[in-house]
Amino acid sequence: MKFVWRILGLSMGGIFIYAGVVKVLDPVQFGLDIDNYKILPWFVSVRLAFYLPWLEILCGLSLILGFLYRGGLSILMALVLVFIGATIAAKARGLDITCGCFGHASQHWSFAQHMAIDLGIFFALVALLWIELVRGAHHDQKD
Amino acid sequence: MKFRAVGEAFVIIALACLPAIGEGFYFRDKVSWQSPIPESELVTVDQARAWGSGAIWVDARPDDEFAADHVPGAFSLNEDRWNELLQQFLPNWSPDKKVVVYCSAQSCNAARDVAKRLRDEAQLKDVFVLKGGWEEWLKKHR
Repeated sequence: MKFVWRILGLSMGGIFIYAGVVKVLDPVQFGLDIDNYKILPWFVSVRLAFYLPWLEILCGLSLILGFLYRGGLSILMALVLVFIGATIAAKARGLDITCGCFGHASQHWSFAQHMAIDLGIFFALVALLWIELVRGAHHDQKD
Repeated sequence: MKFRAVGEAFVIIALACLPAIGEGFYFRDKVSWQSPIPESELVTVDQARAWGSGAIWVDARPDDEFAADHVPGAFSLNEDRWNELLQQFLPNWSPDKKVVVYCSAQSCNAARDVAKRLRDEAQLKDVFVLKGGWEEWLKKHR
């Protein structure tokens, strides 16, 4: 079973590293994608466009390397939650948005596809954090 | 132990600042920091009108809005039917003409996105976005 959790952690790490690298290569486009949500002013969107991809990459690395693991998981869960909220808010306001989460690959996803993938990733992260906390509790008991 | 996740999260949040600042420095001259559309890519209604027949107008709004009303002589080119409309638009373009793209208002993104695709995908030069969009054009003409 431990093997399965490890594979899931590696997969999640890989997904976020990929998502981050795609955005690092074109920060202007990612800034425009954030701007499409019409939640933040441009000067904030463009700065986030330079910061968030690196945050995703470091969090992805933390999942793969097992270093700062809980911190990485917590940040990714928060990011995915914020993203789900922003997507729902955009949909409610009738905005036709391109999330840009995975570069060109995600440009033509429907709202339902976005939600399904985001929720799948979120619950996978929750499961990883839960198993990590259970393991931590076992270690504490042994100590 | 209780606050381990929070502490680790702060370390990652701080670490991510370093490459982000480096990348921002590298892109400092390639990004418009104050507006999503650089000033050099914007044109006012008066400027565009002064170009006369040297300007070719592109309406990036949805089909129904274009059908309701549009700048006289404008071509419809929206992302919903990009390939089809681009094929209709390109024969009317020539290298000596300036392309003026507009959407509903200053806050819409369609004109910016269509202008970007015209530059990147169709390799057109002299593509501008109309400041204030269709709303601004109406103010000046009605």
